[in-house]
Amino acid sequence: MRRAAIGLALLLGAALGGLAPPIARAQPPAAPALAVPPLVAELSQRRIEITTGFTGADILVFGSTERLIGEASDEVLVVATGPPQPMVVRRKIRVLGFWMNGPSATFPQVPGFYAIAGTRPAWQMLPEDVRQSGRLGLDALPLRALGAQGPAFRAALLELKKGAGLWVEDTAPVEVSGGRLFHVRVPLPATVTPGTYRVEVLLVRARRIVARQELDFEVVRVGAAARIADVADTAPLLYGLTCIVLAGLAGWLGSVLFRRS
Amino acid sequence: MQVYLPIAEMSVDALLLLGIGFGVGWLSGMFGVGGGFLLTPLLILIGIPSAVAVASGANQTLGASVSGLIAQWRRGNVDWRMGLVLVAGGFAGSAAGVQFFVLLRRLGQVDLVVALFYIVVLGTVGALMVMESVRAILRRRRAAPARLHEHTWLHGLPFKMRFRKSRLYISVVPPLVVGFAIGVLSAVMGVGGGFMLVPAMIYVLGMPTGVVIGTSLFQVVFVTANATLLHAVQTGAVDIVLVLILLAGGVAGAQFGAAMGTRLRGEETRALLGLMVLAVAGSLLWDLVRPPPSLFAIAPLP
Repeated sequence: MRRAAIGLALLLGAALGGLAPPIARAQPPAAPALAVPPLVAELSQRRIEITTGFTGADILVFGSTERLIGEASDEVLVVATGPPQPMVVRRKIRVLGFWMNGPSATFPQVPGFYAIAGTRPAWQMLPEDVRQSGRLGLDALPLRALGAQGPAFRAALLELKKGAGLWVEDTAPVEVSGGRLFHVRVPLPATVTPGTYRVEVLLVRARRIVARQELDFEVVRVGAAARIADVADTAPLLYGLTCIVLAGLAGWLGSVLFRRS
Repeated sequence: MQVYLPIAEMSVDALLLLGIGFGVGWLSGMFGVGGGFLLTPLLILIGIPSAVAVASGANQTLGASVSGLIAQWRRGNVDWRMGLVLVAGGFAGSAAGVQFFVLLRRLGQVDLVVALFYIVVLGTVGALMVMESVRAILRRRRAAPARLHEHTWLHGLPFKMRFRKSRLYISVVPPLVVGFAIGVLSAVMGVGGGFMLVPAMIYVLGMPTGVVIGTSLFQVVFVTANATLLHAVQTGAVDIVLVLILLAGGVAGAQFGAAMGTRLRGEETRALLGLMVLAVAGSLLWDLVRPPPSLFAIAPLP
């Protein structure tokens, strides 16, 4: 958090002093001659580590704009997308009084994580066709299903992903301070999958996207958790044998330690 | 204190897991059973995926049974010859069980079939235990002299073998079949199967009670080891962190439970255990018949 605060202060100074940090990759299509980029943004962390004590994390997206942020002028939209994860949605059906899994729909290309936040909701900022083609909003995600069809499966996927905190839409708006400095917290729940996450920061002016900046961060398993998952995945035979030996040793050791006789 | 389970890919309260391990260990020490039949449903109840609960349950049962096996072996209560025949059947059974499990996973019916297995097996065993122990309590005063073991058509089967420690000369077919059945249960339910194996050894095979516990532990240790290995290779669902936390609580609990169990009478203990088994079966049945909170379920593509 302190690093983020320092970053914010630096950015503010840089923006006010007319100096752009070298990391900014903003492309100003409207006015290419400008010395000040219309948008600069940065993340508080480039690496989220899943340790054995991992309970979720927050990533802070912050930056500043060239003009004042407001409904009439510049507006900011932040979209974070996780690695794709094929999902199966199953409907429960009742057979002989028992509830069991019935027809299923497979969604081969859905983001494992998706979060969107703006100074205003995206549908207020942008025309519908831009929002749909840019996949800005949960209802704009291209969720094509194999197997059972029907809107109910799509709705259930949305509902359950939202319930798990893995798909987040406009829970908190992008906050603005000093007219040009914006920041938003993207909450990652404990169940996030490892991989490369992409954060897109969009600058909207007069219902058009005028600048965008893409930032990546990694979610990685580290420490014991990483090594265990790694061995289990790459050398399952070795892992299985280790599990047998460890469980046997633990059982034996425990009975020696706690013997009450 | 939250701990991240690397295979289940979720965070769980470590104290909750230790508590579950301790509680199940305590009960299993008191009643002299492995406790897998309580552990796996409890893990599913707190949100561990069924596949991980079953595979890790088998591994935990292995750890929980090792110390018992060592103790029984020292006292010479293991008929290793009978044990090896049971294990041979058990290996085949657990291999078949894991294949069945992989198929279920592909069909998306793991939850249902695991629950049904539990309801049928626990319901039957629990009801039999309660009936048998109530009958034993009722006729406690007018005890009839019992025969060493009954002779049935099972003893007329071919491939006879001499089991000196069990004082038996019987066909290897019944122990192989019993071992196979327990092996399937061990792979599909994540249990050791001691609660079914012990009555089967006494009533079907006619083994003397003195060697039953030791020999059943022999079978349980080897078959759960095989189930663990096969699950690790084929379903990749064994979570060693989960297993070790459960074992830490379990072995401590088992010692306290065992100390308490010596003060209970045999028939009452069995009636209590039977009621507990029935309660687990009942709650699983209720989960299947009541309307689910959500009509849909999502899961990553296996």
